[in-house]
Amino acid sequence: MRAKAKLYPKEAARLLREKPGVREAVTGATLHFERNRLKAYAEVPIEEWRERAKAVKDHVLTHLDHYLELAERRLRENGVQVHWAETPEDAHRVLREVVHRRGVKRAVKAKSMLTEELGVNPLLESLGVEVYETDLGEYLIQLLGEPPSHIVGPAIHLSLGEIQKLFHARFGTPLDASPEALAQVARRVLREAFLSAELGLSGANFLVAETGTLALMENEGNIRLSTSLPKVHVAFVGIEKLLPRFADLALFLPLTARAATGQRLATFVSLIQGPAREGEEGPEEVHVVLVDHGRTALLHDLEAWETLRCLRCGACLNACPVYRQTGGHPYGYVYSGPIGAVLDPGLLGLEEAYPLPYASTLCGACYEACPVKIPIPRLLLTWRHRAAEEGLTPSWEHGAMRAFRKVMESPALYRLFSKGLRGLPLPQDLLPLLRAWTEGRGPLRPSPKPFHELWKEVADGR
Amino acid sequence: MDARTRILARVQRALRGRPKALLPEHPHTPLAEDPVDLLLRRLRENGAEAQRLPREEAKAFAQRLAEGLPGAAFGKTLPQDLRPPLPELPPEEAPLGVSWALFAVAETGSVALSSEDGRKAQLLPPTHLVLVEAKRVYGTLLEALQDLNELPAALGLHSGPSKSADIGQVMVKGVHGPGRLVVVVLE
Repeated sequence: MRAKAKLYPKEAARLLREKPGVREAVTGATLHFERNRLKAYAEVPIEEWRERAKAVKDHVLTHLDHYLELAERRLRENGVQVHWAETPEDAHRVLREVVHRRGVKRAVKAKSMLTEELGVNPLLESLGVEVYETDLGEYLIQLLGEPPSHIVGPAIHLSLGEIQKLFHARFGTPLDASPEALAQVARRVLREAFLSAELGLSGANFLVAETGTLALMENEGNIRLSTSLPKVHVAFVGIEKLLPRFADLALFLPLTARAATGQRLATFVSLIQGPAREGEEGPEEVHVVLVDHGRTALLHDLEAWETLRCLRCGACLNACPVYRQTGGHPYGYVYSGPIGAVLDPGLLGLEEAYPLPYASTLCGACYEACPVKIPIPRLLLTWRHRAAEEGLTPSWEHGAMRAFRKVMESPALYRLFSKGLRGLPLPQDLLPLLRAWTEGRGPLRPSPKPFHELWKEVADGR
Repeated sequence: MDARTRILARVQRALRGRPKALLPEHPHTPLAEDPVDLLLRRLRENGAEAQRLPREEAKAFAQRLAEGLPGAAFGKTLPQDLRPPLPELPPEEAPLGVSWALFAVAETGSVALSSEDGRKAQLLPPTHLVLVEAKRVYGTLLEALQDLNELPAALGLHSGPSKSADIGQVMVKGVHGPGRLVVVVLE
């Protein structure tokens, strides 16, 4: 996917102006996820779980070469064909070969953020393959031609009304059709696709090195179907997705489910070793594509490598007061919200993702939610610091910060300015900063009295 | 040099001289209550129907569930005597799938289904009946995973009916997989 992260603040402001319904839908959905997460965390010794999960991931990342080679060996022993992809082009080559060799005309696909990174759908379409997203939310946005706006709930920015309109135009369902009726239509279309597709595509939540097991989590059953019915299954796995031991799944599956949706476990978990065995139903071929695409560079980054612990649960998105205003689209890349703000610069380079580290209030809610304790607030500051060092921040900002410092260091100057600014009519339309603020919000109104006067009154009255 | 060599070389370069993190042990946290009781409770909380029955009653239960149906799809490892007396239909057409679970996990409310039993019967029919022996019910997921010596080609953990809230945040059942999950624990 081409990154449009540079447009972040403009796109966010435009969305707030032009599509106020998105804020309502996203806030509703994220608060719902967030409440469920809090309840699910409270049920278990969550601090102990988070510490242990962090330790396991740090172990695997600091021994990554060993575990990658072990996973490759186990996968091959299980009859899986293993491929390595440094770039999207490498991944495309694997797919192109499968499509030509097996005469693939139709593919069913499980939701996967990595395949968004790799641009799998456009590639398949260019090869004449019909691709069906089979996660219901992902199917909705595929019909609309939009990218996902949330890591686990790709269509949370859509209201029921919008989906009713979409299905009316596409399938002729009534404009007031119930969610059940709409889901039944999608079920019918996708069932036909499952039964006729020659190729099933997926990502992976985890790859266990010890046993070569692919672990996939979902609630609908579409992943189980996509990896069971077509004769070929291709899974794209980021190299950071490894777990050392099979029994580590006992921690990571429930922890991810609790963080993502507040469930004790996802409704369906697929633990896949390889192709179907003698006399069994299932795929004849299973391929695993181990993908780098910027991950080794991030591992090399001593200040930011911990980002690679990410489980893609979306908990930080739900907890984030900034993400809740707009959903994921304005972030302009696959990963949005707080994790996107620190992962995208790591994967794309800071220049491509420049404004994203500023898309946060630094309130720390993302860190509290993170199941593997990624220090997102600290990483945001790291990327901001680098942006300043690399001269990516605008030049007026340096001057403004110097002036601000002068004023804040001198009580006399501070009083003078706070009084002076209060007396003036605010030139709302003149200063670019104020204009950016008021475009999406009400006008700035200073309090009638400055804080130090109010404080004095309180102190004197006591 | 191929992609594999380059990726592994870059990983090694990145890790050179870095402190190595230790791998923690798995904790031992045994369950305080009867695993079957907890399994039934958790399955119901997950939206499934669940009961514990002696083998003879389980047979009668499966027959009642199958009453009036034109046929069903059966798991390959399901014991013959537990099959409801129905004609066998392909899973694509069957209104009912009956599976034999490898094991169950109480704390998460899950039944584990092996690809050896056949996957279509577990996924395609709208109603899914799963039978599991009480002695195969584990308290925790960790116990179950540590006890597995041989892994099938694919193992599916099912913890309730298929569901989605992707349409306007309204929970809908039976999206792609079975909308009804019925579990019977055999005593």
